[in-house]
Amino acid sequence: MASEITIETDVLVVGGGIAGCFAAIKAKDKGLDVVIVDKAYVAKSGGTAAAGAGYMMFNPDWGHDLHACMNAIARNGEYLNDHEWTEVIMRDSLATYEDLVSWGVRFPAANGKVGDQYQPLDMRDSSGMRSLFGQVFIRRGNFHVLRKQVVKSGVKVMARIMVADFLRRNGEVVGAIGFSIDNNDLYVFKAKATIVSTGVNSFKPAGAGISCLTGDGDAMAYRAGAEVTGKEFPSKFTTIAAYPQWRSYAGFVAYPRFTDAEGESIGLRNIDNVGFWDLAMDNVIHTGRGPVVWNLEAATQEDIEAIRKAVQLSEGSDVMLTRTGVVKPGAKIQLAGGAGAGSSDSMTGGIWPVNTNCATSVPGLYAAGECCATRYLGSVHTARGFGLTASAVTGARAGRAAAEYALCVRKSTMDEEELLRLKKTVCLPIERKGGFTPGWVTQVLQNTMLPYFILHIKHEKRLQAALTTVEFLRDHLVPKLTAKDSHELRLAHETRNMVLNAEMILRASLFRTESRGQHYREDYPRREDPVWLAWVKLKEEQGEMKASRVPIPKKWWPDLKKQYEERYPQRFLNEQA
Amino acid sequence: MSIERIDPELCNGCGICVNSCPVDVIRTDKEYKKAIIRYPEDCMCCNYCELDCPTQAIYVSPAKGAPLMVAW
Repeated sequence: MASEITIETDVLVVGGGIAGCFAAIKAKDKGLDVVIVDKAYVAKSGGTAAAGAGYMMFNPDWGHDLHACMNAIARNGEYLNDHEWTEVIMRDSLATYEDLVSWGVRFPAANGKVGDQYQPLDMRDSSGMRSLFGQVFIRRGNFHVLRKQVVKSGVKVMARIMVADFLRRNGEVVGAIGFSIDNNDLYVFKAKATIVSTGVNSFKPAGAGISCLTGDGDAMAYRAGAEVTGKEFPSKFTTIAAYPQWRSYAGFVAYPRFTDAEGESIGLRNIDNVGFWDLAMDNVIHTGRGPVVWNLEAATQEDIEAIRKAVQLSEGSDVMLTRTGVVKPGAKIQLAGGAGAGSSDSMTGGIWPVNTNCATSVPGLYAAGECCATRYLGSVHTARGFGLTASAVTGARAGRAAAEYALCVRKSTMDEEELLRLKKTVCLPIERKGGFTPGWVTQVLQNTMLPYFILHIKHEKRLQAALTTVEFLRDHLVPKLTAKDSHELRLAHETRNMVLNAEMILRASLFRTESRGQHYREDYPRREDPVWLAWVKLKEEQGEMKASRVPIPKKWWPDLKKQYEERYPQRFLNEQA
Repeated sequence: MSIERIDPELCNGCGICVNSCPVDVIRTDKEYKKAIIRYPEDCMCCNYCELDCPTQAIYVSPAKGAPLMVAW
């Protein structure tokens, strides 16, 4: 490593998406020193880059009904949502929206004109969820506004520094260690409170803009002793096979006609829960009737216009649609699953928050955005477009809470022994003369984890087989990763984090011996109430990853006197016992 | 790996793409004062560079093919 730079601050924010920006600004509001660090570029990397997307809002003044919302989310999320968090995110969503507007973010309205006024979008959504909330759109340029506000508020912004691990002292997080991707410098951050907001895990899949989301936060927090949850619920995100960056489900929703290889309709319109579309498509593949085709044979120019209108606010999709010209009347467009492969559904998987102020089970460490497993939507991501809102809300809350915590800490002191140990771990791949390249190990991991029969349609034997491979990667390949420069060092650390996330996903999936929401076990094809009205928590105990069950409070259970079919309108494949 | 090429004929060396890339894919070639693809494996397919390029010199391939895996 070139040289060592130590940075001391009150609050350290790791990860500069919308959650991190909110956290930094809110912590700065308390008059503290705040540093925000990102391995790419603050306000532009990761999910935020792809987030030319909906910003959901809840406002009683606009006729939204909290009770109806809560009921719909609980039912669609198959009763696995944390009601406290669901309500917090609804109630706070207006305040964060107003923050964004006051900082200069302009929301394009439904008619395509730019304005800052709320205007509900006319979008067909078979689940009816959207009618319960308002939705506005944030476009890419607006994230520059967010960044400007971060800078203006006096936060120190650092880019292209990858944080590799959190520093601990007596079980408390007291900062972090990382390195510069550009010039090889080693960075030691001393912080009174640390916020992690690095987004979801994915295995560098084909989908848009998320190749740098490698679950760094979840992995670092886990290594620092935090609890992790919800890893068994994967995001399945179907996309266009030839253009996997296609970002918008809205296009599919606007024209939901899908056929299998025989030309038979898949009949998704009968599935009133959008979250189950992907599984229905997986089933087609699994039964040997693939590929799945988005069938525009009968589409009129008007239908194409409706699709265009639905995706126009998501810039990437708009570009794909106009430039490639594949979306046209008469087209049969082959689809592919798992564009976000490896990631958890919106905030269902991540670091377990011990309260609604985003504190984790490790003192001094706070989680925001996708790192914070609020479980606000339960086991199915039905209200697409809520992710930005929930990230903003958790960011603001984590920022305030971490600042309060920092105000109570006199000085952060390092554990020199731990620091020395972590320094060695950080630099190891660059110092090794031989071993395995991160690119190759990532490829092995992808081949192990990405096939639909591992993450989408699960079975104990296959999960166990994948876990055996992942354990080998963990024990034999990861310790021998190499890096020719600091740039590849980043890939080495990402690989290490992805392997750990893979283990979490597989262990949680094996542990939950039922099917629910996005978690489908072929060998346990039914929901098991009440035993699995519970969350799965993962924690390190004496070097082993241990899973445990956390029962959901009875007050949030469905009415068990109701018939099973009434509690759960969606059927899994081969569910009838 | 999605960014495919930067056309040196069209590139005017303005550097907008270097800044618009959230990661470290593009750098400016010191000698020729043109944008070059330096770390393509970093590309996260956000399309920012292509969208922002004033001379349309950049082509980000919509397809993202998986390379063949070798035994070691």
